[in-house]
Amino acid sequence: MSIKTYIFRVQRNTCHGDNGKVDTNWQEYIIECEETTTVLTALDDIRDHQDSTITYRQSCRSAICGSCAMKISGKTRLACKTHVGIVARSVEGKEHQVIEVAPQGNQPVLKDMAIDIAPFFDRVIKIQPFIKGGDEADTEVHQNSYDQVNHVTQCIMCGCCYSECTVAEVSPEYIGPAALAKAFRFVSDPREGCKTARLKELSEDHMMWSCSRCAMCVEACPKDVAPMEAIVKLRTRGIQKGFTNTTGAKHALAFHEDITSRGDLNEFSVMMRTIGIFGTMGEIPTALHLLKKGKIPSPIPHKAEGIEEVRKMYDILEKNPLDVETKAKEVEPE
Amino acid sequence: MPMEFAYYPGCAAKQVQKEADWSARSVCEALGITLHEMPRSTCCGAVSLRETKPAFSLAVAARILSEAEEKGCDLVTVCNTCLQTLTHANYRFRTEPDILASINKVLEESGVRPYQASIKVYHLLWVITDQVDPKVLQSRIVKPLNGLQVAPFYGCHNIRPAEIFDAKAGEEADHLDRLIELLGGKPVAYDGHDKCCGFHFMLSDKQETHEMAGKNCLNAREAGADVMISPCTLCDMIMGANQGPIEATIGKKIELPELNFAQLLGLAMGIDEKDLGIKRLHVDPRPVLQAHDIL
Repeated sequence: MSIKTYIFRVQRNTCHGDNGKVDTNWQEYIIECEETTTVLTALDDIRDHQDSTITYRQSCRSAICGSCAMKISGKTRLACKTHVGIVARSVEGKEHQVIEVAPQGNQPVLKDMAIDIAPFFDRVIKIQPFIKGGDEADTEVHQNSYDQVNHVTQCIMCGCCYSECTVAEVSPEYIGPAALAKAFRFVSDPREGCKTARLKELSEDHMMWSCSRCAMCVEACPKDVAPMEAIVKLRTRGIQKGFTNTTGAKHALAFHEDITSRGDLNEFSVMMRTIGIFGTMGEIPTALHLLKKGKIPSPIPHKAEGIEEVRKMYDILEKNPLDVETKAKEVEPE
Repeated sequence: MPMEFAYYPGCAAKQVQKEADWSARSVCEALGITLHEMPRSTCCGAVSLRETKPAFSLAVAARILSEAEEKGCDLVTVCNTCLQTLTHANYRFRTEPDILASINKVLEESGVRPYQASIKVYHLLWVITDQVDPKVLQSRIVKPLNGLQVAPFYGCHNIRPAEIFDAKAGEEADHLDRLIELLGGKPVAYDGHDKCCGFHFMLSDKQETHEMAGKNCLNAREAGADVMISPCTLCDMIMGANQGPIEATIGKKIELPELNFAQLLGLAMGIDEKDLGIKRLHVDPRPVLQAHDIL
């Protein structure tokens, strides 16, 4: 493997005491390394030989501890798992390829790439990440009992998903993907005694129904946890337990009604069924705005041919439910 | 080689964002792409049906995919969420034969032709950037964009999760940028091009929807965008049609014209703006398009 020259463009941050004000500037370092050198090794090299003031967290160097999550060329990644060659970008006017390094998003910055991880862990703690006793605890654990638990237990709490979460960016109240994935781990554990109570809490505002389904967390996760998939399954379980009195659940429940009645979603009535008559009245200004451009749909959508087939499929599956949940893949050692 | 697809516009293009449907049809006609109607198809169930009725959602998707397969065509859509929903189901049918077999049993009992998992699901944008000969496409550009600064807004369900898609996805996705360049425009780089419009939680978290969409639009505007384009009818509905209510929520003016990609492509191909439903856009793109001699 040949040695190449790269530019590391590093975000330097200094936080001023308790007021949270952060001074930010960028500093460039030139480094020679291989394409397969990890970003962490390259940063260590810069710190050891060029600038000892660069601050970042690191520990295991093996994608296990989750300490070195940072924004690398625009996306949050583990520095120890990311090869320089993969994230080096050509930039106009620069002689060498550039790797940009910055702290995680959606978290308070302390110094350079080191962030205050406490708000992230506060969210995880909020879902009570431990097995609780109770009436729903199973005494028998079957061989396939952990099919649903396994993929979320791979989480190393690195915060990559929360850093990339598009909802967290605009909503500090949102519990976030990592905490929800962790919640799913307990809702699915046969030994857990308070599954229903957990789902009730998860149905509250800023919890599982506040995910925008953007799938950014699925891409960001370095351990294939796929937090959004866990959120989808939490929603299914919540609805199954009867927690349907939320806007998110009501909206979701409109779909099979429409698909089995005419085929297409009734975009005219879906709002009324989701947020009710008073909620809809609050949306009148938006409705008038849309009306200006003829964007109020017909109250009677198009009827699909052969709709009776769809109703039959629905009836069959209601009578004989089919388990189609994805199961955890066998975990391969890295 | 003639290109034929089963055409699945999705509920939004049929009911609210009709201009996306009109533009897709006009552009395809001009490029010699045949679109076959799918009269039996229902709503795909979007992200919601998978949450409420997971098995039924796969059956609904299989029935839609089967209708396309019976016509001997791959499926093409202009809605990102339909794209992701049908692709996700198709990915499972291709990789989990047991699931396909049990869903097909339900289809057969209901009088539906079983699905053989033999077709692919495409976005029309991918067909245009990856399958149409670039030279042919270039020869049809009669009104090049003359350096118009265009912000690409990919939309989540066009690019994530990357593993399920049959096109470049995730961070690799570049089809919208390539299209803008091909039309003679300048793609604008900005923070937000791969972020979320918030459509799927606009009823439960309206404030958050408006803030995320507003932020994306403002970032594009600040990076110099004259217009924004999206391949998705749902993104169009938020970033374009709802820009007024978003401005009211965030208390800032945006005034960034947002078009469906097929509308801008159609204009560059010299298709009459009436056929592309340009008048239906809430933020009028005509002044800036006229300034660049596109209209």
